Amino acid sequence: MIARRIEVATAPRVGFRLRPITRRQRGTMLRALALAIYTLVTVFPFYWMIITIFKQNADLYSETNNPLWFNLAPTFVNVQYLLEQTRFLTWMANSLIIGVCVVAITLVLAVPAGYALARLRLPGAEQLGIAIFATYLVPPTLLFIPLTRVVHVLGLQNTIWSLVLILPTISIPFAVWLLMGFFKNVPFEIEEAALIDGATRRQAVIHVVLPISRAGLAAAGMFAFAISLQAFLYPLVFTSSTAVKPVTLGVVTDLVRGDLFYWGSLMAGALFAGLPVAILFNYFLDDFVEGITAGSTK
Amino acid sequence: MVSLATEVAIPRTRAVHRRAFRYKGYLLVLPAVIYVLALIGFPLGMGIWYSLTDATVARDGRFIGLKNFVDILRDPTFTLALRNTTIIAVVATAAKITLSVALAFLLLGAFPGRSLLRTLFVLPWTIPVALSTIAWKWMFHSQFSVINWMLLKVGLIDHAIQWLGTPVPAMIAVILVSTWRAVPFGAIVVMAGLTALPADVIDAARVDGASWLQRFRAVIVPLIAPILFIALLFDLIFTLSELTVVFLLTSGGPVDQTQVLANYALQVGVSGSQLGEGAAIALFLLPVLIVLTIFALRAIARRESA
Repeated sequence: MIARRIEVATAPRVGFRLRPITRRQRGTMLRALALAIYTLVTVFPFYWMIITIFKQNADLYSETNNPLWFNLAPTFVNVQYLLEQTRFLTWMANSLIIGVCVVAITLVLAVPAGYALARLRLPGAEQLGIAIFATYLVPPTLLFIPLTRVVHVLGLQNTIWSLVLILPTISIPFAVWLLMGFFKNVPFEIEEAALIDGATRRQAVIHVVLPISRAGLAAAGMFAFAISLQAFLYPLVFTSSTAVKPVTLGVVTDLVRGDLFYWGSLMAGALFAGLPVAILFNYFLDDFVEGITAGSTK
Repeated sequence: MVSLATEVAIPRTRAVHRRAFRYKGYLLVLPAVIYVLALIGFPLGMGIWYSLTDATVARDGRFIGLKNFVDILRDPTFTLALRNTTIIAVVATAAKITLSVALAFLLLGAFPGRSLLRTLFVLPWTIPVALSTIAWKWMFHSQFSVINWMLLKVGLIDHAIQWLGTPVPAMIAVILVSTWRAVPFGAIVVMAGLTALPADVIDAARVDGASWLQRFRAVIVPLIAPILFIALLFDLIFTLSELTVVFLLTSGGPVDQTQVLANYALQVGVSGSQLGEGAAIALFLLPVLIVLTIFALRAIARRESA
C-alpha cells in the first residue's frame, strides 16, 4: 500500500494506469467468486439427483456416510426399478402423445389467429391480441374446480384426452402473441410480390410467409410442448390411474407408497423426464422472454 | 358508407372488397377466441357462480350470496393460508428482484464459458417445477438431509433442523425453492434489457466520471426497470396462485403452517368435494390478480407503442 502511494507520488502517470487495473482485477475475482457460489447453489440439486440415482440403498440411508460421494459401489438398481417396476415408459409415452397433440392444436389455432391479427390490418387487432394474451395470465388455480365439471360432463375424466383438451388453454394465448410478433416482422413487400405474381393469399401465406416465420413457428411449438410437460395441477386433478398419468405426475406420485419414498428411482425419473424438457426450453428461452417483455413488436 | 360508395365508383368496390376481406380475417381469429372463451372465460364465470352457491360434487347448488366468503373468513386455516400466501409472495419477490439483478450483472459482458454458464443457470427455471421440487424434498429429508449434513460440517448449525416439520424452517424452505426456481427467469429478462441498452450510454456515463452506483441509478435502473417490472408482475401473479411447490414439499404442513390459498382450495374443492367453498377460496385473490394483470398489460402496451 505504502509502496504504491510512493509510486503514485513519484510517477503519477504509471500509478494512474496501475490503479484501475488492480481494481478491475479485484472486481473480476469477486465476480468469479460470486459466480462460483451461485453455480454451486444452482447445480447442487442436480448433482444430488445424479448421485442419488446411482447409490445403493445402504449408502443412501446411512447417517454416518459422507452423502456427497459414493461409499459403496455405484449401482443401476434404482434405474432398473424405475424402468421395470413402474410405468415410467408408459408415462413418458403419455406425455409425448399429450405434448404432440397440444402442439398440433396450438399451432392450428394460433397460426391463423396470429397471422390475421398481425397482418390483415383488422380494426381492433392490437386490442384483441392483448385480450387473448391477457388470458395467459389467468392461473390454472382459478379454473381447475369448474374445469373438473367440464371434463366430467365431456366424459374425459381420467383420460389423457382431458389434458389434450385443457392444456392448450395455457399455450394458445402465448403462442398467438408470440406469432403476432414474428408475422409482423415479415416485410409486406414480399407477400405483396407473391400476390402480384398471381398467387392466392393462401398460397402466399403457405409458400412465403410461413417459411420466413419458421423460427416463430418452432418457438410457439416448443413452448406448447414444454408447457404440456411442465403442467402439474391439471394432470393432478384430471388423471388418477397410473396408466393415464403424464410423466411429471407419475414420477412424483407413484414412486411414493404411503410414507415410503423410493428416492433413488424418484430422482432417476425426475432427471430423465426433466432434463429433455429443460434442454428444449433452453432453445426458445430468448423468444419466450422477448414475447413477454418486448410485446408483439420485435 | 353507403352514400360514399354510391357517389364514387372506385372506392365502392374497394370498400366492399375490404369488408369481405376483414370478415374473413376475423374468421381466422375466431377458432382461437372460441377455444379461449370456452375453456378459460366460461370456467372463470362458472367458478365465480360456484363461489356464490353451496354446490358440491353431488349437487348443483343454490345461490347463497356471499356466505362462502363469510364462512372462509372465519375459517382459521383460510386465514393462515392467506397470510402464508402473502408472506411467500412478498419475501420471495424481494429475494427474486435482488438476486435476478445481481446475477444479470455477474453474467454481463463476454467471458469464457459464458454460454455454458447461462445454460446451467437457467436449469432451475426450465426443468418442470414438480420434478425439481421433489429433489428439494429429498434434500430437506427429516433424517438424511444433505443440507443439514453440510451445515453441520461447516459448523453453521449444531443440531439437525427438521426443515419440513417445523413451521418457520418449512416456510423458509418453500420460499427458498420458489426463489431458486424464478431467479434465472428474472436474470434473463434483466440481461435482455441490459444488452438492448446501448453500450455507449454506459461508456459515456463512465467517461463523464459517473461512479458505479451513479451509473446504476441514473442510467441502468431507468432503462431496465420497465422490463423487470413486467417480468415481476408475471411472476407475482403466478406466485400468488402457485401450488406445486407447497403441495409436493410440505402439503401445507406442518399443521397448515405453510398452507397457501391454491393448495387449500384444492383440498376443500376437490378432495373435500365442496365446490362452492373451494371456488371461493381459489377466487379470493381475483381482485388483486385483476389489478396486477391490468398493470402488466398497460406496461406491455406502453412498450408496444414506444
